[in-house]
Amino acid sequence: MKNWIEAFSVIDFISIGILLTAVTLNAFKSIESYVKAYTINSWLLAGLIAVVAVLVGETHLYIAALLTLATKGILIPLFLRRIVRRMRVTHEIQPYISNSLSLAISGILVAVVYASLKDGIFVTGFSRNALQISIAVILISLFIMITRKKALTLVIGLLFMENGLFLAGFSLTFGMPTMIELGMLFDMLMGVIILGIFAVQIKRAFASADLDQLTVLKG
Amino acid sequence: MIAILVIPIVTAIVCYNIWNPRVVGYVSLAGVVALVVAAFPVITASLVSPVSALNEAFSMDALSGYVMSLVIFLSLASAIYSISYLEHEFEAGLTNPRGVRTYYGLLHLFIFTMLLVTMANNLAIMWIGIEATTIVSALLIGLGFHKRPLAIEAAWKYIILCTVGITFALLGTFIAYYASTAIMGTEGALNWTVLQGVAHKLNPATMKLAFVFVLVGYGTKAGLAPVHNWLPDAHSQAPSPISALLSGILLNTAFYGIMRFVSIVQPSTGSAFTGNLLIIFGLISVGISSIFILVQDNYKRLLAYSSIEHMGIISLGVGFGGPVGIYGALLHILNHALSKPLMFFASGKIQARFGSTNIANVRGVLTSMPLLGTLTFIGALSLSGTPPFNIFVSEFTVLKAGVDRGLWFAVALFLVFVVIVFYGVLSGFGKMLFGRPEESTVAPSAHYPQGLNLGGVLANGVMIVMAASIILLGFKVPAIIDTTIKACVLVLGVK
Repeated sequence: MKNWIEAFSVIDFISIGILLTAVTLNAFKSIESYVKAYTINSWLLAGLIAVVAVLVGETHLYIAALLTLATKGILIPLFLRRIVRRMRVTHEIQPYISNSLSLAISGILVAVVYASLKDGIFVTGFSRNALQISIAVILISLFIMITRKKALTLVIGLLFMENGLFLAGFSLTFGMPTMIELGMLFDMLMGVIILGIFAVQIKRAFASADLDQLTVLKG
Repeated sequence: MIAILVIPIVTAIVCYNIWNPRVVGYVSLAGVVALVVAAFPVITASLVSPVSALNEAFSMDALSGYVMSLVIFLSLASAIYSISYLEHEFEAGLTNPRGVRTYYGLLHLFIFTMLLVTMANNLAIMWIGIEATTIVSALLIGLGFHKRPLAIEAAWKYIILCTVGITFALLGTFIAYYASTAIMGTEGALNWTVLQGVAHKLNPATMKLAFVFVLVGYGTKAGLAPVHNWLPDAHSQAPSPISALLSGILLNTAFYGIMRFVSIVQPSTGSAFTGNLLIIFGLISVGISSIFILVQDNYKRLLAYSSIEHMGIISLGVGFGGPVGIYGALLHILNHALSKPLMFFASGKIQARFGSTNIANVRGVLTSMPLLGTLTFIGALSLSGTPPFNIFVSEFTVLKAGVDRGLWFAVALFLVFVVIVFYGVLSGFGKMLFGRPEESTVAPSAHYPQGLNLGGVLANGVMIVMAASIILLGFKVPAIIDTTIKACVLVLGVK
C-alpha cells in the first residue's frame, strides 16, 4: 500500500484535485454546482488525510479523516442543499466580473503563490506541493468571496478557505491533536449553520439574497 | 475551577426554559451571582500562583485572572442592566417572551465562551473560544429581536468578517504549532505554560510569520483598524447590554490572545518586530477612529468608534513595551471596561426615552433626566481623556512609555489624534446633554417607564457604582489593582 502510494504520487494528485475544484468555482453559474464542488473538495481533503494516515500509520489521523468526511463531506453539504432549496434562490450567481476574467485572475493567483513560495520556507511533512496548493486555495476562495454577490456564495467561499487552511495545517504539522480538531470542526459546523440562518433572514428581510442590498450601515 | 465553566451553561439552559419574561431576568442574575461566588476563590488564587485543571488543559495565571475578573464583573453589570432594558423592550412591543428567553440563554452562552478564552491554556483551545464568541454574539446581535433588518445586516457583516479574520489566526496558530513541534515534539506543544519556557528556542522566521497571521486575525476581532469595519455596525445595532459586553470585554479577550502571542514571539525575534507592528496598527486605529468620531451623527456609532480608538491605545501601550507600556495598556483595559459599558448603558436609556440614535434628535438630557445626564457626563468626560478621570491616567502612562523609548514621531501623532477625539466625543455628547428638551425634534417615547421599579433601581445602582469607580480610579489606582497588574506584567515576561 505504502509503496503504491509513493510510486503513483497519490498525495500530489489529490492535492491538485483540491486546487482544481477550487478553480472550477470561477466557471460555475449556479449555487448547486458550488455545493457540489465543495462536496468533492471535502471528500478529496478527507481522502488526503486518510492516505497520509496510511503512510504515517497514526490513529489520530484516521480519526481526523473520518471526522472531516462526516462534517465537511456529509453534514455541511446536506445542510447547504436544504438552505438552497428553502431559499428558492434564482440559481444564478451573477458575479461582478465575467467568468473568463475571474478564471484568468485565479490562474495568476496560483502562479504568484508558486513564485513566492518557491524557495520553500517550510520543509513540509509529506509533499512539496501541499503548502503552495493550500495557500492558493485560500487566496482563490477569498477572491471568490469578494467578486460574487449572493449570500450563499460567501458562505461557500468561507468553507473553501477553511478547507485550504486545514490542508495547510496538515502539510505543516500532520494535524492537531484529536480533541482540538473536534473543537474546530464543531465551531465551523456551528458557524455554517448560523450563516445559513442569517442568509435566510436576509432573504426574508430584504426580499433578496443579493448582498448589494446591505448598504445602509456605513461611516 | 471547572464549576466556572459549568455554571453559565446551566444558567443558559435554565433561562431558555423559563417562559415568564419577568422572572427570567432575575434567574439570570442569580446565575451570574453564583458565578461570582464560584470564581472569586479561583481568581484570588490565580493572582498569587498559577492554578490548573483537567490535565493542564485549563490553566490560570495572574493575567487570566485579571481578564476573567473583568469578564465576570461586566457580565454581572450587564445581567443587572438587562432586566430593566428587556422589561422596557417587552412593554414597548419590540420583543416577545420567546425573544426574551432566547436573549438570556444566549447571553449566558456568550459569557461561557469568553470565560473559556481566559481559562484556556492551549492556544488552539483559545482559538476555539474566540471563534465561539463570534458565533454566539452574532446571534445576539441579529436574532434577539424580530423585524430588524439593520441588525441582520450588521450581524451578517460581523460574522463573515470576523470568521475570515479568525481563520487567519488559526493559520498563525498552525504555524506556531509547527515551530514548537520542531523543537519539542507534539506533547503539549501549544500549551502556553510549556511554550513560555522554550520560547527563546523557537525559529524566529517561523514565529514572525505566525505572529503576522495572528495579529491580523485576532486584530480583526479586537477591532484594530484597518480591519475594524464590522465593529461600528455590530456595536450600534446590538441591544445596549450586549454592546456593553462587546465593547467592554469581547474586544479585550481577542487582544488578550494577541498579548499571549507577543510574549511567546518576543523572546526569539526581539521586541522590535512585534512592537513596531503593534505601534503601526495602534496609530492607524487611533487616527481613523478620531476622524470618524469627529463627523459622526449617531451616538451609538460614536461610542463604537471610540472603542476602536481605545483598542488602538491599548495596542500602542503593548507596542511601546517595557513595564510601563504594558502596565498602561492593562490599566487602560480596565478603565475602558468601566467607562464604555457605562456609556452604552446610558445610551440605551437615552434611546428608549427619545426613540432615536441620532445626536441631532436628542437635546437637554441633563434637564429632563438629571441622574442619567450626570452619569453620561461623567462617562463622556472619562472617555474623552479629561483629567482627573481614569482614562487620562492610563493614556498618560502609555504616552510616558512612548517618551521613554524616544519614539517622538509616534508620540506626536498619538497626541494629535487624541486631541481630535477629545473634541469629537465632548462636542457630540455636549450637544445631547445641554440645551432645552423642547428643542428636540422627536416626541419622547410613550413607553418610557415613568415610575421606578426594581429593575430600574438595580440598573441605576450598577451605573452609579461604575461612575463612582471611574472617579476613584482617576485619583488613585487602588493597591490591589496595582499589584495585580504588576503581576500580569511579570507573567508576560517583561522585566
